[in-house]
Amino acid sequence: MATVRKLMVQGVTSGAGKTTLTAALCRHFSSRGTDVVPFKAQNVSLNSFVTADGGEMAISQAYQAWACGLEPSADMNPILIKPKGNGQCQIVLRGRPWKDLGQGGSDPEVIDSLREQVLSAFRDNASGRELVLIEGMGSPVEMNLKDKDVSNMWLAKATRSPVILVGDIEKGGVFAGIYGTYLLMDEEERDLLKGFVVNRFRGDASILKEGIEELESRMEMPCLGVLPMVRFSAPAEDSLDLSRPSGYGSGHGDIRQRWMSELDGVLEKWEGAWDLDRVRGLIDRV
Amino acid sequence: MINPTEADQDDSEENYGRHASVLRSQMIRGLIGGNPECAHHPCHHPEQNCTFCFCPLYPCLDPELGEYVISRRTGGRVWSCQGCLWIHRDDVSSSLFEMMPEIGDRGLDERTRSELKAELEKKHRKRAKAIMVLGATSGAGKSLLVAALCRAFRNRGLKVAPFKSQNMSLNSMVTADGDEIARIQDLQARAAGTRPRGELNPILLKPKGGVTSQVIVEGKPLKDCTVQEYYSEFVPNEAPTIISRNLERLMRSNDVVVIEGAGSPAEINLRGRDVANMHVAKLAKADCLLAVNIDWGGSFAYAVGTLMLLDEEERRLFKGVLINNMCPGGGSLGDSLKLVERTTGVPVLAVLPHIPSLYLPVEDSMDLDQRDEGEGGTTVAVVRLPMISNFTDFDALSLEEGVKVIYVRTPEELESADAIILPGTKNTVQDLLWLRESGMASAVLAKAGTVPILGICGGYQMLGRKIFDVHGLEGSGPSEIEGLGLLDAVTHFDSYDKRTVQVHGSLEDAGEVRGYEIHMGRTESSERPLFRLLPDSRPEGSWDQGRKVLGSYMHGLFDLPAFRARFLAMIERRDGVRCNDVDHEAEIDSSLDRLAAMIEEHLDLDALLGGDGHGP
Repeated sequence: MATVRKLMVQGVTSGAGKTTLTAALCRHFSSRGTDVVPFKAQNVSLNSFVTADGGEMAISQAYQAWACGLEPSADMNPILIKPKGNGQCQIVLRGRPWKDLGQGGSDPEVIDSLREQVLSAFRDNASGRELVLIEGMGSPVEMNLKDKDVSNMWLAKATRSPVILVGDIEKGGVFAGIYGTYLLMDEEERDLLKGFVVNRFRGDASILKEGIEELESRMEMPCLGVLPMVRFSAPAEDSLDLSRPSGYGSGHGDIRQRWMSELDGVLEKWEGAWDLDRVRGLIDRV
Repeated sequence: MINPTEADQDDSEENYGRHASVLRSQMIRGLIGGNPECAHHPCHHPEQNCTFCFCPLYPCLDPELGEYVISRRTGGRVWSCQGCLWIHRDDVSSSLFEMMPEIGDRGLDERTRSELKAELEKKHRKRAKAIMVLGATSGAGKSLLVAALCRAFRNRGLKVAPFKSQNMSLNSMVTADGDEIARIQDLQARAAGTRPRGELNPILLKPKGGVTSQVIVEGKPLKDCTVQEYYSEFVPNEAPTIISRNLERLMRSNDVVVIEGAGSPAEINLRGRDVANMHVAKLAKADCLLAVNIDWGGSFAYAVGTLMLLDEEERRLFKGVLINNMCPGGGSLGDSLKLVERTTGVPVLAVLPHIPSLYLPVEDSMDLDQRDEGEGGTTVAVVRLPMISNFTDFDALSLEEGVKVIYVRTPEELESADAIILPGTKNTVQDLLWLRESGMASAVLAKAGTVPILGICGGYQMLGRKIFDVHGLEGSGPSEIEGLGLLDAVTHFDSYDKRTVQVHGSLEDAGEVRGYEIHMGRTESSERPLFRLLPDSRPEGSWDQGRKVLGSYMHGLFDLPAFRARFLAMIERRDGVRCNDVDHEAEIDSSLDRLAAMIEEHLDLDALLGGDGHGP
């Protein structure tokens, strides 16, 4: 693990754009010849995918694997939580159904064993690769959930990964969301946080200038990009993503090819809106 | 009112006794409410009560109600209470009327006046308590929290009004007086039991596509502005006066004014240019509440970040944070609540539950994507035009058993539709172009004759043969555009005039309809009319019965059951559709009462109002 490089994307909220941003970074690095692999410790989703060897994982990580030019493997998403209703969830661990748990029903021993599995999957997944792009889950500062965290700052600390934080401007209050997330982190966490990204912006980004400069100076870290709103098709992750375009038409042929060509379209539209050199520079700064 | 500063009156305190006869005649006249016969009416505002044209408490010398001015006649000091609206409230004048003692030859003496005033003050606030709900994001639930507070205060017998200085929305409606206001402020007015009017939402922005919005001030269209013009000219030069004059009037004529912010107050790139949030909070000296939606995650971050990006003076106005939309079984928030207070100094006052199946209009189109409504086998597809407006029109349809209303933007989604609606739009021409480019136009045409197709407002204009926009009012330059040709009608945009009016009428044969028109452009049709409008049986709308194509300018046409039943009867596949005589408005009222009960249960309203729960 010491030799592989890492970068983690965390979000201010669910649906802030972590999955897409991570997939776009996967695509970017792999197209430049980097041997990159995605990782998300835990996903809550009913949209799952089955790997060639019969392992079950979230389709979002499969999508990110394709963006890396790889076959999906369950270790890219070792914990998949599938809500079954009535507060019960099926836990899929490293590709296989493990057990059902009630909501919030995870005692410290369960968390310890899940953390162990996450790290072990992380090592196997990263083995022999140059770069792991890690996606966080939900918000990293749900203070009531911190001692059960297996997918956000706990993982960043355990793997010594630099983190970038993405906020969605579409619902408003994005400066508050980003700054509040930073304020609620402890010192060690703030140390790992290297920059932030504003997602789903419409219009002329220059009107955000004053706000972004104020945040940069308050948080002492750079804004890495203001990414324009892009409509494109990708596998839906969870119920929060219902607003994605649906029935956009898969056209003829393989939907996965279509997803990849649309992802390339996203990268094209984001060209110049983010500072990828700076992102690359962050990777080695931990 | 008998104006003490007018030259023809001698209102000096020494001459007070001379008004004894005026006071007596007022009492004999009785509680008259407003007095439209009076040449000066309305000297304050249309709602004023004129019973005490001359105030029996004059001169009260209460600095909150009046001030000394220099008399134009004598050059001496005279007490002026021109701006006082207290005595002109229905509730205040009726209380005073009941309390009034016999009037002696010298009128009421000073002691009697001050006793009367003290009694009145026990019952009625002189100046409203201002409570403001701000949101950490859009969609934090501000609008409904304001409605909930309005209804809860009204239920406590207080006189209450909602206020939102600036709203951006395409869901507007027309009041009985012809004012155009955001639909949500109309709902809040209903919750408060006050007349909906422009004053409650003095600035309404209606996006027209691109960067342009129509600016509506005090209910009337003023002009079109680009974002740039709005922030660099309108906001600094015009907005503050418009906001303060409307807010001030509400503050003087109510017990409580419940104010709604807009978006987030911490958009730090707009510092100094945001007139919808802290500007109003400071103006009203409001007790502020910050609403945060817990549903998306990151709610503590949003709460803390919002408060910490405000300056100290602003932060001090916040009495608390409201965590909104908590789902049952959402787990314990534990020490997170205390952490918010430790970090910001502002406590979390309540964790409010998500209230399921409220029957209330939604505010903006963001919510539409997740808004397929009703359950049932019959699908009514509303075409999700990019500039869709007034989609509250379809709330009533989703009440029908067996009907599902879905919002669609692709031809594939239209395939299963049992009826199609082209809704209103803020920009007919551009949305018609979108309809063509997206393939939706051909998809609609392909279904023509098999399922009913209804166009409302902009959608109606699209159904016709042609649209003439000779002056380029729709922003695409002077143009002549082919419509879908499903109705033999043509629309002309020939002036900037806008028709905003409430309408009543009936179906051709029978059945009442009620709604409102908000549109530019006029349509000439040779089809059979759909409605007859009061008072003169003016024909409205178009109906090609054979092809089942209908068009109308009337928003809200589904609100009463008659047209709903007519429309659904035209659908062939109607598995399990049962038309209900559901009263749209009664449903809304009962939802408002549920909201009020929720807020009473979870938030200490007595503390919020200050002390006894009634006032000072």
